[in-house]
Amino acid sequence: MTAPEPVIAPDPASAPEPVIAPEPTSVPGHTSAPEPTPATPTPPTLSCRGLSKRYGDVHAVQDVGFDIAPGEAYGLLGPNGAGKTTTISMLVGLLRPDSGHVRVCGVDLAADPMRAKARIGYVPQEIALYPELTGRENLRFFGRLFGLPRRELAGRIDEVLDLVGLGGRADDRLKTYSGGMKRRINIGTALLHRPEVLILDEPTVGVDPQSRKAILDGVEHLVGEGMSLLYTSHYMEEVERVCDRVAIIDHGRIIAEGTRRELIALVGGADKVELSLEGDLETALAKLRAVEGVIEAAMTGATSIRLLTEGGRHLLPALITAVDGCATVTATQVIEPDLEATFLHLTGSTLRD
Amino acid sequence: MWRALAAVGALELRTRLRDGTALVIALIVPVTLATLFSVALGGDDPPLRATVGFVDLDRGEFPASVRREVMGSQELKGSVTLRDLPGRQEAQRALDDGEIGAAIVFPAGFSHSVGEGRGGDVSVLTSPESPLAGVVARAIVDRISALVDARTLAVRAVLKAGLPGDEVKELVERNGAAGPAPALEDDPLSGGKVDLSVHYGSGMAALFAFFVVGASFRGLLTERKLGTLDRMRAGPLAVWVPFAGKAAVGFALALVSVCVTWAASVLVSGATWGDPPAVFAVLLAHVLAAAAITMLVTSRVKTDAQADGVIMVVSFVMAFLGGSLVPMHSLPGVLQAAALLTPNGWTSTALTELAGSGAGLAAVAGPVAVLCAIALATGGLAVLGMKKGTLL
Repeated sequence: MTAPEPVIAPDPASAPEPVIAPEPTSVPGHTSAPEPTPATPTPPTLSCRGLSKRYGDVHAVQDVGFDIAPGEAYGLLGPNGAGKTTTISMLVGLLRPDSGHVRVCGVDLAADPMRAKARIGYVPQEIALYPELTGRENLRFFGRLFGLPRRELAGRIDEVLDLVGLGGRADDRLKTYSGGMKRRINIGTALLHRPEVLILDEPTVGVDPQSRKAILDGVEHLVGEGMSLLYTSHYMEEVERVCDRVAIIDHGRIIAEGTRRELIALVGGADKVELSLEGDLETALAKLRAVEGVIEAAMTGATSIRLLTEGGRHLLPALITAVDGCATVTATQVIEPDLEATFLHLTGSTLRD
Repeated sequence: MWRALAAVGALELRTRLRDGTALVIALIVPVTLATLFSVALGGDDPPLRATVGFVDLDRGEFPASVRREVMGSQELKGSVTLRDLPGRQEAQRALDDGEIGAAIVFPAGFSHSVGEGRGGDVSVLTSPESPLAGVVARAIVDRISALVDARTLAVRAVLKAGLPGDEVKELVERNGAAGPAPALEDDPLSGGKVDLSVHYGSGMAALFAFFVVGASFRGLLTERKLGTLDRMRAGPLAVWVPFAGKAAVGFALALVSVCVTWAASVLVSGATWGDPPAVFAVLLAHVLAAAAITMLVTSRVKTDAQADGVIMVVSFVMAFLGGSLVPMHSLPGVLQAAALLTPNGWTSTALTELAGSGAGLAAVAGPVAVLCAIALATGGLAVLGMKKGTLL
């Protein structure tokens, strides 16, 4: 298995401002709701405002709102029980919110559910398919259900089977599939009617690393082709890899939203840069300290220097240039703070609590 | 929307055919059980014995000739006994006590009224506990009615022709409207074959209708467990489509089941269930009621396993109380009263009526209306429960 590379966040200058709800010391459950990000030039594919749902005295979801632009991958990151699935259930019309509204490509879900739902591809957390039917039969059933014309359906099923890499097992009963294969066809079923936004609720729970990689590759491919994505997970590394923007949800509230970098910046985290050098390390250390963005520098061995920087990965060319003439950089490693740390900072708990 | 409905229905039918519930529960088991029961417990016609009360307040020629005919009939010899009773109230009391199975009441002045061309009414008192006696009494009265009609018509015609009243009787009798003697040429017991083959056939049909239609509603809970129900509800289709698709298939299978059991009963035992359109109306109404009740059960339980158990209990209780397993007249009085709370009770009553009397749709309009009312009431409650349970 190869570890997923963290997604490099887009240029902060062009990204929406992060929305921060609480001060680091505030209690997550009692924070005020964040305002959604400013409207993008094109209308959002999926938009919700003020979504709330309570069961008795329990507020499952409170005042949740966000926009997902066309072609954008949006992550909903939170621990189990944070309100992710309840939020999704309201977004796909399975649950009627106590308050708030949902718009899909400008269509109000409550006012015109059929048109709105036709634009959504919903992948539930569990494998919501018929184990006694074959993969192809499952796809055919849901294709008909979603109104695909009969003539188009067979071809579309083959396309989807190819997309999820199950062409060779299409005519086997689903109950004979491995967990990962079931997950893949679970996603494929949601793609049949070419939705404009794909909603994935914890799509990799319980799958093997190989299938997880295949699922994430496939999702990235879909987003690359312009499909909007709402991806919920409590696996921080998946959200980091797939999503352009992330909302952190806890106790039913969105407590922070922004790009990965923006969220990490909330906790004031600096990148660590490990440099391996040959040459005059004393001189190199002095020159590196002078580079703008370097907060701190220390020699950690006969051939290594550790730096604390702001924007470590972008700073690498300047660092290499700075030591030119006195030392040669033979290896670099940038260790960036992650969302796990941010989440811990914002909520006081870890994602897997 | 119809395509989605057809897709759900087709999948439901395919699932039911694949798991065997369509073939086994809907067809094989009810037909086999009905046949086995009728062979083991029914067989040929059961011994026919009936005591018919005879209330003669008329003291005229009509009752006298009826008594003569019945006593002299070879077909009724040893099977039907006439028991004289002084009045209608006594007859009703004897009927309620089970001393007689039916009663024929000739009102005072009956023969005189018929002789003057004004016709007359003969009452028949019957009890569901003794369908055979009721059949015999009705057969006799039907015959009397035909005679009375003919006699009345003849007398009116002669009177209109201007003949003096005191010569009418003689002229009418001399010219073919022979005296008031009901000739029981046909076997009046032939309609009394409300025998055990019909009873068990209709009983099994009524019982298995619950299982067959219940399996489809139970399927909604299975779909909810699988997550496929939510997946459908998240799709671009009306919220009622999954429910309606399954309900339509379950209803159709149950209707096929009861009709096949009916046909098998007729073919195997040679018994008749009565007027076909009326029998179909009763069976249709029964399936409607069974569908609504199993729907209500489904709306109140959490899992498909619970639904299986509760539907089975409800079906057997309804079948027992409603005369689907044991003839209603064999049950204690309190249980007979309880039978009227079950669709099986009304279905059993209606089918017994049809098989015994040869009556048509009008005779079972009441039970059919009650079955539809049960379907409406329980169905309404079920819809509310299903909406709450996100099944609908």
